[in-house]
Amino acid sequence: MRNLKRILILLIVGLMVGAASVTRATLSAAVVKVPDPTKVVMIVDRDSNDIAFMDIASKKIVGRTFLGNNVNPHMVMMSPDGRYVVTGGTRANKAYIIDAKTLELVKVIPVDIAPEHLAFSPDSRWYYQGNPEGDSISVIDMLSLTKIKSIPGLVEPLNTVFLPDGSKAYVGNYGAHWVGVIDVRRHELLKKIQVADVPGVAKLDPDKYLGEIKGINIPQITNDGRYLYATDTDLGVVAKIDPREDKVDKIIRVGKEPWRPYMSHDGKYLITPNNGDQTISIVDLRTDKVAATLEAGENMTGVNFAAGKAFVISSTSGFVYVYDMNSLRPAGRMKIGTNIQLETATTDTKDEKLYLADSTENAVVVIDAKTQQFEKIMNVGLYPWGTHIMDSKDNYCH
Amino acid sequence: MVRSRLAAVIAMLLLTASFAAAQNSTVSGRVANAQGGVIANAEATLRALPPPGAPPMPNMPNMPNMPAAMERTATAGADGAFTFANVAPGDYVLYVDASGFERTSQTITVGNQAQNLMITLTPLIVPGAEEGAAAAAGVADTQLLLDRIKQLEARITDLESEAVLSEPETRVKRIEVYVDQNNNVHDQPVEGAKQQVTYQRERVYRRQTINEKIEEALAAAEDQAVKIGVDATTVAQGAGRTTGVGPNKKAYALASADLFFAAKLAQYTSFFADVVALSGAPPDREIPSLTLLNGYTARLVNQNELNLREAWLRTEFFGQRLGITAGRLDLTNYFDRNAFSNDETTQFISDALVNNQMLGLAVNGTGVVADYDPKNAFNFKVGFQQSNPDATSLSDSIYSLAEVGYTATPFSLPEGHYRLWYRNNNGSVDSKHAVGVSLDQKLSPFVGLFGRYGQQQIPGDWDRYWSTGVSFAKAMVFNPLDTWGIGYAQMDLAAGDKEHLTEGYYNFQLTERLRLSFMLQHVLDRQSDKFGYLLPGLRLQAAF
Repeated sequence: MRNLKRILILLIVGLMVGAASVTRATLSAAVVKVPDPTKVVMIVDRDSNDIAFMDIASKKIVGRTFLGNNVNPHMVMMSPDGRYVVTGGTRANKAYIIDAKTLELVKVIPVDIAPEHLAFSPDSRWYYQGNPEGDSISVIDMLSLTKIKSIPGLVEPLNTVFLPDGSKAYVGNYGAHWVGVIDVRRHELLKKIQVADVPGVAKLDPDKYLGEIKGINIPQITNDGRYLYATDTDLGVVAKIDPREDKVDKIIRVGKEPWRPYMSHDGKYLITPNNGDQTISIVDLRTDKVAATLEAGENMTGVNFAAGKAFVISSTSGFVYVYDMNSLRPAGRMKIGTNIQLETATTDTKDEKLYLADSTENAVVVIDAKTQQFEKIMNVGLYPWGTHIMDSKDNYCH
Repeated sequence: MVRSRLAAVIAMLLLTASFAAAQNSTVSGRVANAQGGVIANAEATLRALPPPGAPPMPNMPNMPNMPAAMERTATAGADGAFTFANVAPGDYVLYVDASGFERTSQTITVGNQAQNLMITLTPLIVPGAEEGAAAAAGVADTQLLLDRIKQLEARITDLESEAVLSEPETRVKRIEVYVDQNNNVHDQPVEGAKQQVTYQRERVYRRQTINEKIEEALAAAEDQAVKIGVDATTVAQGAGRTTGVGPNKKAYALASADLFFAAKLAQYTSFFADVVALSGAPPDREIPSLTLLNGYTARLVNQNELNLREAWLRTEFFGQRLGITAGRLDLTNYFDRNAFSNDETTQFISDALVNNQMLGLAVNGTGVVADYDPKNAFNFKVGFQQSNPDATSLSDSIYSLAEVGYTATPFSLPEGHYRLWYRNNNGSVDSKHAVGVSLDQKLSPFVGLFGRYGQQQIPGDWDRYWSTGVSFAKAMVFNPLDTWGIGYAQMDLAAGDKEHLTEGYYNFQLTERLRLSFMLQHVLDRQSDKFGYLLPGLRLQAAF
């Protein structure tokens, strides 16, 4: 009896040890440089052709992935599962996939012409790389790390947004006045949604309407995933799109030449920076009406939200304009520098700090949203074009 | 009894084990390079694909019922071999990573039979990288060259698709360094070194298209050039008498052309000049109303002559919060800037609906304005200007103005601007002091309300003025950029003269540079004589 018990115990222990030895998690062969991908700011350096990783706590560059000369990476993004960091090399016509922990370049995938902005499906399976000059989106399977398809028929696709259920993706066409709807299951263009009519007076103004087109930058999704809002720069409108029926629900007229919508983190408002008249329009999403139009700066490239305020980046003036999102009134202006060019910023997940790319100074500006004080982290790479933090609500590019 | 239970348990365990063994199998493989050389420490990952009919997006955020994707990892040993034991049947993606090599991946179907795979990795070559990772992995030089040729061929294809300038750019940058007593330069602060600004060339690898280069050069040239603008307007008005005596059924026209010059002189310092020429006969020559019926008349000094209307320098201090403008000015451009009734070129044509009549500024003159705008809700302005062309010295006929402005969003309405101003005049005029308020408040995104009030002190009494009206934009219009409005203004002078003026206008924005407006005014004056006029009008404006 005792022997049988011993045999049984030994058998079970042996099975457990064997199973553990077979299925044990293995450490990567390479050195782990970023143990927790949520703790770094990714910086895309256009001229040094690399992605720099800055530790949020120490503000030190903990790693850098060189992509190759003349790659000119444009936008960086981490996959939602935190496994990969990807970027499109605008002048190399390639997509670059980096291991998020070891920071090793694991794959270089040829895509279409001038890849810029990109998006991930919510399950991290599909990486959509927009190619504005190729008028296409390259679909990359993140399981096999291969380009499985190219979606043609778009017109300068600038930004793509997935629905939360991953069933459809919406593409802003900057070279047209319609939003493209992509069936993610088949990776095909399903539908074109025209955001607004071109006014009849346009025929009197061929220079404006035929010379150059500034259409739709991005269809931005609401926090609840129920609607999308897309600006049309030429037409000066925001279109509210119902994704259930893929139709325009409402058209909201905002300031002149709105760049794109930015959603406030509480889901109450969206802001459009209007570069045509140097104002911002704050749209109340409960009423779908412009709640305030306030003076802003020139060449605005982004809006971030933190500490109950909106921070509007005026690229060439070197200012960040601040607005109180409770009173909807101006709340000051921060002078970041003289003769500098600011790009875009990301906000940390606590909504406390902004990380703003300061391209001409090769710096990232860390802004404390509450005090409106800032600190410059120099030598992050040459010409930092944008920043990204995993799970930030303000991850965007320009 | 106990023995029989134990035996049953053992039998069940063995049965389960044997059943499981019959269901699952082993996936193994060996990782090597193209020449067959073993690659040690490669990481192999086996990831289960969702079964047919499964939701298309597993592992989705906010959907906890969906299982995380099944994934197992194994590291190849020194012989390049790896093994996954006890793999359930199904479809999997097997991918293998190794430092210095491109990832390989393949879909495999696992059944009951064990599988042994041969994995070949291709070296990953990063153009421009100082070290070829593949070389470090010991791949033969020939293979590297072949791979390089392949890569170059791909690059030529890319270049064919787009003409680009491939040479590295050099760019001069402003940098801050620390220079010690021996003139040694340090990048970081060191003891005894002073912080200095210098300039240094930097080599960057931004490949630009020829178009981008040309656009950049044109923009730089434009930035340095003197900018010239033109605002040419023709206003035609008719006048029909509605009451009293005076000219009747008359037509009037006034043509105006402004030439603007602007240039950047230094950091935050700019120059602006406006030269204007007017020609024609406005109704104000014949109709003796208290206020001008054509706001352009204020600019008319001499017919068919060029006049310098404005010429000033502006510079900014303290983080560009404080601006100082000095030269020949029009102070009404800085004070009482009502959003809906402050521009005779696109809004109301009546001067009573362009400026607060109690500001008392008749003509432009030499002056200075300081405006402090911290870009919060408040802003402050002070300024003075000589408003008498016959003044013999700068100290004569000086109008001093101060204003406090506030931006508000009251009662959940859109933005509104509220101003309070005070004026003092040292000239030999009756009115020494005046005070006024001005507001423009949006009632909705499309409708704006405006109002003004002002009063000036004259010996023993006050002259009073007020105006109000509504303005419409973006809605209830023919074209999206059209605007229209209705306004009313009233003057009550201490001397007993009174004026009621009403105006409506519609402004068509035909193109970016061309506007056409229709106006209808009615003025009723009670001076020594009582008279009233109805004035339909048309305004054509080209601005570019």
